[in-house]
Parts: sequence; structure tokens; C-alpha cells
Amino acid sequence: MATASTQASSAVPTLSGERTVNWPKRVKSKLANGLEIILVESHSIPRFHGELFFRSGNAAVSHLAPGLADMTATMVRTGTSKRASRQIEEDLRRLGADLSTSAGQDTSAIAFAGLSEFAESLLGLVNELAREASFPDPELERERRQKLEEVKLERTQPGFLAGERLRKVLFGEHPYAKVSPAEAQVAAYKKEELQTIYRQSYTPENALLLLVGDLDPKAMFGTIEKIFAPWSGKKPAIPHAAAPANPRGRRVYLVHVPGAVQTQILCGCHSITRRHPDWIKLGLTNSLYGGAFNSRLVMNIREAKGYTYSPRSGVTPLQQHGYFSVSAAVRNEVVAASLTEIFYELDKLRSLPVPEAELADAQNYLSGVFSMGLATQDGLLSQVATVALNELPDDYLETYRQEVRALTPDDLQSTAQKYLDSANMQIVVVGDRGKIETQAALFGELEICDSQANRLS
Amino acid sequence: MKGPQIAIENKTLANGLRVVIAPDSAAPVVTVGVYYKIGFRLEPQGRSGFAHLFEHMMFQGSANAPKMEHIKLINSSGGVLNGSTMYDVTNYYEAVPSNALSRVLWLEADRMRALKVDDENLKNQRDVVKEEVRVNVLNQPYGGFPWLDMPPIAFRNWANAHNFYGDFADLDAASLADVQTFFKTYYLPNNAVLLILGDVKPEEGFSLAEKYFGDIPRGPEPPFADPNEPPQAEERKGHVEEKFGTLPAIAIGYVLPKRRSAEWCAMALLDQALHGGRAGRIYRDLVLEKQIAVEADGGVDDIFGYNGPAQMTTRIFHKPEISAGATLAGFDEVIHEVQEKEISTDELEQLKTKWWSDYYAMLEGGRGGYMPKYGLMHLLACFSLFDGEPQLVNTILDGFLQVTPEQVQAVAKKYLRRENRAIVFRAPANLGAQKEAA
Repeated sequence: MATASTQASSAVPTLSGERTVNWPKRVKSKLANGLEIILVESHSIPRFHGELFFRSGNAAVSHLAPGLADMTATMVRTGTSKRASRQIEEDLRRLGADLSTSAGQDTSAIAFAGLSEFAESLLGLVNELAREASFPDPELERERRQKLEEVKLERTQPGFLAGERLRKVLFGEHPYAKVSPAEAQVAAYKKEELQTIYRQSYTPENALLLLVGDLDPKAMFGTIEKIFAPWSGKKPAIPHAAAPANPRGRRVYLVHVPGAVQTQILCGCHSITRRHPDWIKLGLTNSLYGGAFNSRLVMNIREAKGYTYSPRSGVTPLQQHGYFSVSAAVRNEVVAASLTEIFYELDKLRSLPVPEAELADAQNYLSGVFSMGLATQDGLLSQVATVALNELPDDYLETYRQEVRALTPDDLQSTAQKYLDSANMQIVVVGDRGKIETQAALFGELEICDSQANRLS
Repeated sequence: MKGPQIAIENKTLANGLRVVIAPDSAAPVVTVGVYYKIGFRLEPQGRSGFAHLFEHMMFQGSANAPKMEHIKLINSSGGVLNGSTMYDVTNYYEAVPSNALSRVLWLEADRMRALKVDDENLKNQRDVVKEEVRVNVLNQPYGGFPWLDMPPIAFRNWANAHNFYGDFADLDAASLADVQTFFKTYYLPNNAVLLILGDVKPEEGFSLAEKYFGDIPRGPEPPFADPNEPPQAEERKGHVEEKFGTLPAIAIGYVLPKRRSAEWCAMALLDQALHGGRAGRIYRDLVLEKQIAVEADGGVDDIFGYNGPAQMTTRIFHKPEISAGATLAGFDEVIHEVQEKEISTDELEQLKTKWWSDYYAMLEGGRGGYMPKYGLMHLLACFSLFDGEPQLVNTILDGFLQVTPEQVQAVAKKYLRRENRAIVFRAPANLGAQKEAA
């Protein structure tokens, strides 16, 4: 290590001056029928990404059955009054486009991307799907069968079983507790129900059209107006759901999968939505805890101990309620050891202030990654959509970085005390009972069920 | 339909390191990649899974950046990083705000110059890799289907036919000496390419590359196992038990024409005709119309990114009440149709438009919205290492756009033959043995 060149290269280069991050303008407007429009220019490639959002999803209709908005969205691409399924798919290909329809808890959406030169034709097709879906009977029966098989299959996936159980434990009677329908519920889906949901929620007053890409906002607005202006429809009435009880005390829920060679751990507690004033604080706290490769949880149970490949923590901000969760798939022998470390790191953040240098690293990470979304059309779309759908302030993208950088060790500690609620964390473990039951029982009162959600003990 | 016109500059340092720069100052973000020409196809016999385990070791410490420092320095610069092991290459990449470019290059150079790892690091990452295999393969329905199931059934040369994730016994047998030998053999500047894309000026990029990588000594040209396969004369079949899943599944793989031949271009469009989403003939026939299957997908995975035998693979999850034999017969009807009847010029035009559009989308992203230019990086790297011609990024589309219906039909006849395919049957244990005959 004596040569001049290796000497010179032994010191970490400092960061040079940062280039300003300029978010592109969001051009907003609204049609007379209530359709909100946001257009963003990004000329990296001769394409554009778009999404037509409707502000209601599975939660709004869960009193009828879980997953109904999702099945409605699935049916939307299977036929319109003008085009049969096969025609829709071929036309998409002709336009060099991709399209998907889906529904989450809070929104339904038609997402699409394609060549800018064919934007008008693609928007024409999207308009047709949003207004003239015909729900053909044979397509419904085919989709129903596919859904039935999907529902059976997801019960063999450890990640699904853990997520389903945690949501049930955290949200009780609230619609957010139901992530997927049972087979009998899928079998009972009625075409008339789907059509009613479609009529009520696929309306301009309930919609936001967002386009990002190689486009001229002025010309594009004219195109949109021409295509979507004749559309009409009111905002749907969404039944009020009572706030879920926040479970007190730690409990452990074991989902028994005979023969599992690994255990999926998922712990969670109630937290907040994106609109809450503590959101950015919690985002940074989570990032430092387990939201980044360089986070405490990953360094502990992966890099120091080798218990797991993919530990992660996150905050899921649904529209009405949010929750914090920690996940790791670990080998069966170290379930208790992993939980011990998961809680150790939570409690450490609650008990001790974060060192300044570590805080600065986490702040740089979060603000840098936030700006990464600038560099691609779909990254931009997802950032702009988040702001719009959560009704965040117009300058949210511009101010986010400085808000992150203003946070102090005290902010993080008080946020951890408030939201990383280790005493009331609900613990789900999915694995082979014979291998993990005694380990799991160390952490709280144990409830065991099988993969079909039947109580075993 | 025109090809892209991406500004690309490239040169080779005295130590043999290829450097490719594609400047674009639209966003203050720079993507850096280092690709080494070694993948799991070429790892040593008796050390299955080693190329991938080794990739993990590259994050465990180098001469001036001890364990955890590499990850910490990238994350705390506001960036993200990862690596992946493929058939013929292994990559390491970062996307960072452009003010961190020097730091990223310094880190990549430090680990190209000298890996500094110990037995404890190796044991740690062996454990991590085993959990990776469990979470992705052993504890998942259809884990490894068909990418791990197909090779031992389809191929005869160990290079192509072994378990790429690694048998646990082989992972356990891997020693620190193996790690250092592998590093010294393959992780050489003259067996690598450095890519810098995004917010960088070419002269600055080249000068930083020279500054940080210039003094890394070149090594002897690494030996590569011959990946060629002996000729295949029969249809190959094999069974793998599905431990968790509920549907019987079948994968059918056909060996592709030689890379960059006219037949290869025609095959790519034939692949689109068969597997291009819900308009593709396989999904349309088997799922939407005949309704034999609940899901059908597949195709050529990463067509530009391999440098040895590869397949076009279809995955079919069929209804349990329909036999594997009847399902396969349905699939064969689709194949028979493209062999007997030319696809229309209208269909071919659609396929080309989609191919062109997808190509641009891939260049921009490729790994979601947060790894900008991953696709462009990947293509520049593969065209540099396999073809010595990064500029192919701007011209490779031409060959695909010139394909005719006759050529598509000709490759269908020549390559979609039973003696050029292998079939994996992955039936759930609880359904009992699936009958192959209808």
C-alpha cells in the first residue's frame, strides 16, 4: 500500500456541490363534468405514461363482498359496446401500448403507457373502457374461474398469508381487514353488482386523469377535452366505516403451514396516513429503522447475523388509516432470535437519540431517493399521483427534501415513541407449527390457525 | 419507426477496462454500472451457485471500504445499489444524485482492485443466500419454475444444465480460497466494462475512470468453459413435484437461433406473436378462447443479455380437470398454426410497433421507476462485452424491423420442432400423478 496511486485512492471522495432538483410543472385543469386533469412533460423517450384514477376501491363496496371493485376493474378490459376482448388487445398492440385495470382498497384505476404519436387513439380506448364496458357473460365466467384459482393459490404463499392475517388483526371489522375474497364469495359475485359499481364509481366527478411523458400540455388538453367532455356522472356515496379498534398488548398469530422450510415474520401496529403532520417524520424514522439497505434492521439481522435475506419495514398509508409493519423471512431455528432483534431495534430507537451522523446519512438517503423519481416517466407519475390522490400541498415535491433535512434526533425519538409501538405490536408468523410454536409463544399469547383461516388453537 | 439516437462515447483504458458513457443531463442523477463477463453458466464444476454467492461477497468489503461501508456510502449519498448474477455476466450498479459520481467510481474501483473478506463474512453471506433460496424457491409455490427446473432437463453440458442458485452442499463447500481465486481469475479490468449514464460530461467521466480504475493491473485473459451443447435429437421431458401450489403447470422451452443472426431477429418477433401479452396467440388461445389454462405467459427472457444457448420458454398453468396431455395438444395447435400459415402483414406490423415501443421503455427504466436507465446500461454492457460494439444500442432494432412474414414462418418450422424442445411438468403433489396422454 505504498504507491502514490493507492495512497491517493484510500480516502473516500467527498460529495461535490449538489445540482438543484427541479420538479417539472404540473399543469392542472378540470373539465366541466368534474374530471380533474394533471399533465406533466418528460421528454426522455417518445412515450407517455397515464393513469385514470377513480377515488373508490374495494373498501367502498366491501359491505357487499371483498374484492368486488377488483373484479369490476378486471371486467372493464374484457369488452365494450364497440370492441370485443380480442379487438381491445390487438388495438393496444397496434398502438405500442400496455394497459392494466385494477382496484386497491381506496382507488380503482386504468393504467396505460404507449407511444406519444398514438396518444389520441389510446386515450380514446381508455375513455371507452371507462364509459362503455359491456360486461359480457362468457368473459365474466372465465374471469370468475381464474379468480377462484387465484384465491386458492394465494393461500399457498407465505407472504399473502402473513399480510392477510395482520390486516385482519389490525383492522377487525373495518373494510381494510379484508384483503381477498373467499372462494364462496367469488362464486357468488353477480354481474349486476359489478355493473352497479361500475356505473357509480367510474364517473368523471370521481376521477383524476394523470399523464406524464413526451407531450405538449396545451395540445394534450385539447385532445382530452374532445374525448372526455361528453362524459357525465356524479361522485358515488361511500358508506362510512367506523374506526377500527387499536389492538392493545402483544399477541402472536401463527399460521400453520406443514412442511414450511422457512418462517415468514410480519409484525405491525396502527400508524398514520400521508396527510398526517407526522408523516415525514415517520418516513425518516422508518427509513432509519428498516426502510433502507443501510438501515439498522438490515445491518443487524442480515449483515451481522445472517438470519434472513430480505428484512424490511414500511408504513402502509391507506386513505383512512395507516399501519407500520416489519417483515422478514427467516430460517426456522431463529424465529425467536429474529423477533428479539426486531424488538431490540424498535426499543433502541424509542430509548436513545439517533447519533447526528447516522441521522444525516438517513436524511441524505431519503431525499436523494425521493428525487430519483424525476428521471423516469413512471417514477414521476407515481410521485405526482401520490400528491394528488392524498390531497397533499401543491409544493409537496419541492419542499419534501428540506422538511426531511430539518428533522432532529429529538424528532425521531419522539416519533419512534409514538408510532413504533413495540408494546402493542401484533406478531404474525407463518410456518410449520412443530418447528416454531414454542419460539413464537415466548412473545405473547398465541393463537394458531391453518392456511384456510380455521382456528386450530 | 426509427432507432434511438443515444449519444454514446466509449474507450478502453490501458489495463483493458472498457468505459462507456451516455450523457443526458435532463435529471441530476447518474447511473453507474460495472459488468464482469462471468455468470452462473461459467462457474466452476462442484461449485454450483458460486457466481451468485460471490456476487454477495462483493458487498462484504474491499481494501479501503470495509464491510457495510460500501452500502452505507451509497445510501448516505442519496443513492440506491444492487447487483445481480445472470447466465454470462454479473453486474453491480448504483443510481445516485450526480454529485456522488466520484464516490461511486472510487467504491467500484476499490472492490475491483482488492476484495478484503474473511471467513466470517463468507459464513454470513452463505446463510443469507440460503434464506434467499428458501424465500424465492424452496418455500414458495412454483419457486424456481421453470428457470431452475428447465436447465437439467433441457441441456447436457454442465455449464447450462446445473443448479444456478446452488446445491446447499456446494454452497457449504465453498471456501475463502475459492472466493479469492474466483476474484483473481474473473474480476479483472480486462474482463469488465464500466458504464456511466445520465448527468455526466464525457470528458469528466473518462478522466474519473482513468483516475480511479487506471492503475488496477490487468490479468491473464480468463479461461471460459465452452457453453455449446451437443446436438439434440429427441424431445426431452422431466417431472418436478410442486410442493405447495394448487394447479398443474407445464413449461415448454425451445432453443433459440444464434445470437444476432437474421433468424434470431425473426424468432424475437415470433416470440412476440406467441407471448406478447393478452394479444399473444398462446394467452389468447389457451386462456381466453379455449380456456384450457388459467394462466399462460413466457417468452425469451432478456434477449440481448445472454451469450450461449438460451430458450424461448412458455409457462402454462392449466385447469386440473384438463390433462397435461390435452394441454400440451392445445399448445401444439398454436405452434402448428404459425408453422403452417404465414402471419398477416397487419399482425407483423402490430408486433413491430409494440417491439419498438417496448425497446424505448426498457432503455429508460427496466427495474421500476427508481433505477433510471437500467435497461440502457444493461444493453450497453452486453453489447460491449459480447460484441465489442456498444453503439449497437442505436442500430440493433433495424434487424427486427426488417423481418418478413416468410422469415417468421421459416423460423417457426425450423426451431419450434419437438427435437429442439424440452418440457417440464410441475404437478402438485396432492393432485396425484398427472397423465401425460390426453
